[in-house]
Amino acid sequence: MAGTIRAQYPSSLRTVLVPCTGRVGPDVVMRAFGRGADGVMIVG
Amino acid sequence: MLESNRHPNIEILSYSEVIEVDGYIGNFEIKVKRKARYVDENKCTGCGTCTEACPIYIPNYFDENLSARKVIDIAFAQAVPAVQDLVRESCVECFACVDGCEQEAIDFSQQDEIVDLEVGTIIVATGWDLYRGDDYGYGTYENVINQIELERIIAPNGPTYGHLKRPSDRKRPERILFINCVGSRDVNKNPWCSVICCNLSLKNSKLIKSEYPDSQIMCVYIDMRCAGKDYEEYYRRSRDAGIIFVKGLVGKIEEDPETKNLIVQMEPVGTDTVISAEFELVVLSPASLPSQGTVEIARVINMEKSPDGFLKEFHARLDPISTKVAGIYICGSAQGQKEIDKAVSQAKGAASTAGIPMGKGEYTIELIRAKPSDERCAKCYKCIDACPYTAISVNETGNLVVDLIKCRGCGTCAALCPSKAIELTYYRDDQYMALMDELLPMPE
Repeated sequence: MAGTIRAQYPSSLRTVLVPCTGRVGPDVVMRAFGRGADGVMIVG
Repeated sequence: MLESNRHPNIEILSYSEVIEVDGYIGNFEIKVKRKARYVDENKCTGCGTCTEACPIYIPNYFDENLSARKVIDIAFAQAVPAVQDLVRESCVECFACVDGCEQEAIDFSQQDEIVDLEVGTIIVATGWDLYRGDDYGYGTYENVINQIELERIIAPNGPTYGHLKRPSDRKRPERILFINCVGSRDVNKNPWCSVICCNLSLKNSKLIKSEYPDSQIMCVYIDMRCAGKDYEEYYRRSRDAGIIFVKGLVGKIEEDPETKNLIVQMEPVGTDTVISAEFELVVLSPASLPSQGTVEIARVINMEKSPDGFLKEFHARLDPISTKVAGIYICGSAQGQKEIDKAVSQAKGAASTAGIPMGKGEYTIELIRAKPSDERCAKCYKCIDACPYTAISVNETGNLVVDLIKCRGCGTCAALCPSKAIELTYYRDDQYMALMDELLPMPE
């Protein structure tokens, strides 16, 4: 979405596609934090 | 309606209720309760002999209880099918109707009947009803009525044959007040705008003014919402016709016990004064609510509702006709109050939308679906409660069964299963973990 409006965002932002925000459970979020992510944004 | 009844491909089940809906698009299984009207629809010719013979009068709900009907009577003049129905609770069983009926169509032994139907698609168009709160003395003061009651009074086939008469003394009221937004746009009652009331006040006040030019009509409003084709021009013509529009709020209404006139206190916006005016008739524009039928069918089909209680569309802007369930479509006021032309457009849209899968004869689903694993399942059934589409059920052995049509691949079940016993194909947990591991490499 940011790309389509030609907004700039840093390369430290990684995107993970989900079919629906309902698919995002605590285990996946904690995996990200455990591997060093500073934050997790669930958008949808 | 008459043409629909005669069309060979259309069957009208009147005096009936849908009590159960199961299945999925292409294969819905419906149970309909056909209520006993105690008249055989195939024999009755609608001649009305029974109605004339019947000695008992009851309030006529079609005329908002402002007129009477007989216990055995036709629902309204244009009813389809044009047969009588008998209100058993009020019947004294004198059988005068049976004696009079040449067709022998009256059958007191009739029972409610359950009919099973198999259908491919469903369109819900169960409509709206009025808010009937006790605001401004409605229900207490005889001459405070609502728009639907007014419509029946000025209708040529209504309780007064179209002559404007007020309830208390049947005299023609000359000074009439319309109050808009009764129970609408009110955070304490119904926060939404009911869309039709401003134009309804215009229509009815203009009808009265043109029939009785010496009427003094005032309309009190918060905003005059006359959006859409022709409506603003109609508003201008109403003002030109001498109807007075006051932007303000009505505070209190009191009844003069002798004349039954209403003494109304209102504060016109920007004047900082409260004025008191006397009217012979007050007409309220109450809020539009989902009808009892809409509430009931939403329960039967387990349909999602918007915060205002109307049926929830699939997408408020891009698809206000489909619902979250494939094969079930909504239209008209049941989806949200709207003007007649919008309701007709939406109905045409619902018909063509339903026609697409029916024309194709097959329905394509994506393969992204929930997949249960019997070995891992601890049978806590949290997934069943969480599924927004009620797609998960249990079989005889207690194992999970996913309905591949109802399932929309949202993944809520996969996210919350504590045993990781149900997964979403193409979006499995191990796929996500592998993806995260690559995106977030740990330093060596």
